[in-house]
Amino acid sequence: MMAASVESLGAPSRPAAPVRTGRWGGHPTHLAQQRRWGALMLSPTLLILGLFTFVPIVLTFWISLHAWNMLTPITKMSWVGLSNYTNLFHDPTFRSSLLVTLVYVVIVVGITVPLSILVGMLLYFPRVRGKGVARTVLFTTYVIPTIAVAMVWGALYAPSYGPLAQMFHAVGLGQPTFLSSPSSALASLAAFNIWQMLGYYTVLVVAGLTQIPGDLYEAARVDGAGFVRQAMSITLPLLRRTTVFVVLIGVINAVQVFDPVYVLTQGGPITSTTVISYDIQRTAFTYGLAGEASAMAFSLLVLLVAVAVVILAFMRSR
Amino acid sequence: MMSPRWRTRVSRWLVRAAIGVVILVPLFPVYWMVISSLKRPADLLSVPPTWFPHDPTFAAYRTVFQVIPFARSFLNSFLIAGTATLSVLLTSIMAGYVFGKYHFKGRDALFWAIVATMFMPPIVTLVPLYWMVQHTGISNAYVRVLLPWLANAFGVFLMRQFMMDVPDELIDAARVDGASEGRIVFRVVAPLLWPAILTLGVFAFVYYWNNFLWPLTILQSASQYPVVLALAQLLSYNTTVQYQNVVMAGALIGSLPTIVVFLLAQRVFVQGIARSGVKG
Repeated sequence: MMAASVESLGAPSRPAAPVRTGRWGGHPTHLAQQRRWGALMLSPTLLILGLFTFVPIVLTFWISLHAWNMLTPITKMSWVGLSNYTNLFHDPTFRSSLLVTLVYVVIVVGITVPLSILVGMLLYFPRVRGKGVARTVLFTTYVIPTIAVAMVWGALYAPSYGPLAQMFHAVGLGQPTFLSSPSSALASLAAFNIWQMLGYYTVLVVAGLTQIPGDLYEAARVDGAGFVRQAMSITLPLLRRTTVFVVLIGVINAVQVFDPVYVLTQGGPITSTTVISYDIQRTAFTYGLAGEASAMAFSLLVLLVAVAVVILAFMRSR
Repeated sequence: MMSPRWRTRVSRWLVRAAIGVVILVPLFPVYWMVISSLKRPADLLSVPPTWFPHDPTFAAYRTVFQVIPFARSFLNSFLIAGTATLSVLLTSIMAGYVFGKYHFKGRDALFWAIVATMFMPPIVTLVPLYWMVQHTGISNAYVRVLLPWLANAFGVFLMRQFMMDVPDELIDAARVDGASEGRIVFRVVAPLLWPAILTLGVFAFVYYWNNFLWPLTILQSASQYPVVLALAQLLSYNTTVQYQNVVMAGALIGSLPTIVVFLLAQRVFVQGIARSGVKG
């Protein structure tokens, strides 16, 4: 789709290539002027993103090859080669935070993606009132600051005077531990990420559903296919691109989780919620170990690129 | 056995019930936030919790402005998120136009390199970014926060996608009339793309208003804090239950700007985000 539209661009607006048609056509002063405008309009973006995105990526790698205490000047940095990486490999804390992050991502993506497809179908197919309200309400959670969301869910999770504990008690599920026990803290953090992000993914799913031609369902109905059958043989296969995109965004989003860990659990109880971004931030800014932190950060980047390549290859295949 | 008519009736009610759940689940935490902020300390301590405040009071809304520099933090947030949004709009419109309508060597490679950074978690570059901004010699806190926020990869992506839909004939006609490229972008093309611009504006405002990690890293004193940092401060100072009304009042006020901006632009914004997904 994207490639097609790139090719279909009209010839008259090609300032860099010789233009054959058009009244003002290939007049050299026009072309030179346009090229200058192009450079002028692109330069702020390239300058900012270059300086504050691309240069830091390279620097992260460079720092990861050194031992450097962030509280000292960068001139005190000393070369250690790949030893930060080899140390990481044997570091139980780093392994644990990778595992915690992985579990968190799997919980969040594993629940959000199927749920957003279900809710998306619910808000797209049936002709009943309230769908518009539901979509707006659902999406509103996405714009609330994560910090505020964490504060509210902290209150919801309160032990005996909290509403969720009360609900659990009422249906005979006993006294839930939520954020206070290592076995449930991570899942409790995942729960409110799902609550916050579901609306966003649902909107993407609904957008994907609108791309599926209606006459396919018409034909299926004529053939006597019921709702489940239609969902299995039309909706889900044709929604594949959207689904893969939602998985990709979901993984990227869940991997970065930081705010609720910082304000609610500080990585605990024990290390049950010490996710990778919290670990990196603490290593760098609390312990001052910039080299180690950069090695962790760069490893995360490499891992993510690998995951993204796999997901995108999955999208391209078939 | 149910007759077909009964079956459709039952499934209709099931769908209605499901939509009801989809509305209520997002609303419940917001409801809890509102009623908790109106409760008195004694009410907050009751076990089981009260689902409705017995004797509502707005006292917490006054207290929250006394325990943290909350008013100041609003000013900071509006200044930072507002400036970042304007700058992102400006840079993205210009870059989107060039990527969408110009042809030059390496254009697509450059564009996709920028898009790829959209997916990079900010934590990856936090250490060098902190060091770089520390060493720019700039002491103004707002400028330090804003430097990396003056352009945005998603903004460039979104504007380019919409720019490609603008007919070339329109741009050529304006060129024939002797309009400069700058005039074409801002006077001819941009007005056509107001839904996309509004979408990006809302997105950027929400993103920068809510951003926590970067201000936390780069800001040093509480008087420079944006709302989200002030809220975190509020939470860490007031961990006891009796202060939950104050914490909830703060969370509610702090969320209002993004909620209001979203609700005002809702229809256009949701469509714009949806299109960015379909086109991506």
